[in-house]
Amino acid sequence: MEQRKTVLEVKNLKVEFKTDQGTVYAVRDVSFDVKEGEILGIVGESGSGKSVSMLAVMGLLADNGRIADGDIIFNGENIALKGFADGKAYEKRMREIRGNTMAMIFQDPMTFLNPVLTVGQQLREVILNHNPDIGKAEANRRTVELMHRVGIPAPETRIHQYPFEFSGGMRQRVVIAIALANRPKLIIADEPTTALDVTIQAQVLDLIREMSVQTNAAVIMISHDLGVVANLCDRINMMYGGKIVETGCAHEIFHEPNHPYTEGLLKCVNNPEDDGRELTPIPGSPPDMLKPPAGCPFVDRCDRAMRICKAQMPLATECSDTHSSACWLNEKKRREEAELHG
Amino acid sequence: MGDREVIVSINHLKTYFQDSKGFGKKRIIRAVDDVSLDIYRGETFGLVGESGSGKSTLGRTIVKIHQPTDGKILVNGQDIATLSGAALKKFQKSTQLIFQDPYASLNPRMTVGEIIREPMVIHRIYPMRKEQDERVAELLQIVGLKPDHILRYPHEFSGGQRQRISIARTLALGPEFIVCDEPISALDVSIQAQIINLLKRIQKELGIAYLFIAHDLSMVKYISDRIGVMYLGHIVELGDSKEVYGKPLHPYTQALLSAIPIPDPDAGRGKKRIILRGELPSPINPPSGCPFRTRCPYAMKQCAEERPKLKEVSGRLVACYRVG
Repeated sequence: MEQRKTVLEVKNLKVEFKTDQGTVYAVRDVSFDVKEGEILGIVGESGSGKSVSMLAVMGLLADNGRIADGDIIFNGENIALKGFADGKAYEKRMREIRGNTMAMIFQDPMTFLNPVLTVGQQLREVILNHNPDIGKAEANRRTVELMHRVGIPAPETRIHQYPFEFSGGMRQRVVIAIALANRPKLIIADEPTTALDVTIQAQVLDLIREMSVQTNAAVIMISHDLGVVANLCDRINMMYGGKIVETGCAHEIFHEPNHPYTEGLLKCVNNPEDDGRELTPIPGSPPDMLKPPAGCPFVDRCDRAMRICKAQMPLATECSDTHSSACWLNEKKRREEAELHG
Repeated sequence: MGDREVIVSINHLKTYFQDSKGFGKKRIIRAVDDVSLDIYRGETFGLVGESGSGKSTLGRTIVKIHQPTDGKILVNGQDIATLSGAALKKFQKSTQLIFQDPYASLNPRMTVGEIIREPMVIHRIYPMRKEQDERVAELLQIVGLKPDHILRYPHEFSGGQRQRISIARTLALGPEFIVCDEPISALDVSIQAQIINLLKRIQKELGIAYLFIAHDLSMVKYISDRIGVMYLGHIVELGDSKEVYGKPLHPYTQALLSAIPIPDPDAGRGKKRIILRGELPSPINPPSGCPFRTRCPYAMKQCAEERPKLKEVSGRLVACYRVG
């Protein structure tokens, strides 16, 4: 585990959007990394900044958005905008990286795929764009092989079909095949199974796990479904109000949650194997990112909030080598223990 | 359960649509195909199935959004197809629908007060404006909104609050039966639990029966007393929610429930899952015999010949030749 190479390191990332109502502070000082062969989950509500932080990594922010600060180190190269001479050089480099060493899988395969090109054409395009000298015959061979690998039956005939001739689950397999086309080092999957039925979701999740083992690529999985994340991810970042409030391995997040938001969220979902437990909702709703709170973003919905929580953002405290959480309660507990012993 | 009063009784209901797209032969989509079930007063009946299984069409046929092709629906003992005049108004008051998307189902040009008052005005149940205002205030309180929200517009509210507004409007006429069509799937996880607990509380206080349609199987289990599993327009298993989840009998129910992702990394990964081959066949051209046989790991010759009928097996109904 220790020898694994870090594929992506995000340091102090800040993302802002200019809107008519003012500046939206979508991502506020977020740092994390992901290693080869690892599946990292990012969990959060809508507006928590989970998708926006990944769009920033891919260089796909909307026109009114920008990376205000921070470094994004991918494969040893800083790909944050400030690492380049100008916007043009940045765009050019990102076009080389995307679809090549960095691939993405989006929620809705029908909007991702081009409806007027055959599936084979779209796969071949991705291969040829990044390997212009391999020739058409070789590209065709790879296309069929990729479709076979992601479990599409009869790939030789299906490469000639259009996306509408595929079912939802099969389309998402095509999207995964496109993502794998150039042996990516990093695959970013944004809610890849949300549009699918539960039996198809199980098939697609199995495929993603299998591909991560086979290719040793790092996978970042954005999801709001705690069940999906629990089954797939090695490590999990919990995001709330533009910040990572807790990070840990899957076991720690689900069995030893430290942050009140994580604890609260776990009480909001029903475990179908665990009878008779009442759901306890988190009261209120997420903060307005036009005016992000100065202190902990969760303070207004937290039942253990203290005065300092409102005034100042807590720093992350370590619970174990792999587990850390940003909550003032940890500091309070530490001081109480120190008093007790000294 | 024999002593409980039936509020909605569905007998051999068929809802077909005609596919008008393109040229040539008109095709028939069998969205709901021969479904019979009873819903009791004050209970929650959960309806689960994949997209295209006909669960929403069934719910919408009960509230008269779709015309049934064949079969009967009785609400409070009356055939809803023959209703007119005062009896139809009475049916509309007693039966309501909550939609999935709280962004699309509220008129953006109306204030919250106007939205909740509208059904009362249409049905003329509180002639005095003052009584209407009191009722609106009372409804806002029931769903957990503040009295001063009455003059605000839907865009000023979050998704969860909007769904509360829809629920208040639904309750305005004092219904006895509500079809909840995916009422939580557009909401964040922390808000879903708020709405589910609100629906449960309202049911306890007002004794309303729900038909709860959702694809989130763990939430359906949490809220439902009984559940029906639909596949390609048919009910394949129907019974007490705890029993069906605890020991599913139909191979489709088994596969469906085994595919639920368990929010626990330790338990979830050890779980044996039944991965189904392929996807739901088209309801335009359903397989002969049992609708599930094309994906069923246990399909036999007999399954292709005739559709298995629902039969009673240990207190529940199952449509499978291998069971019972």
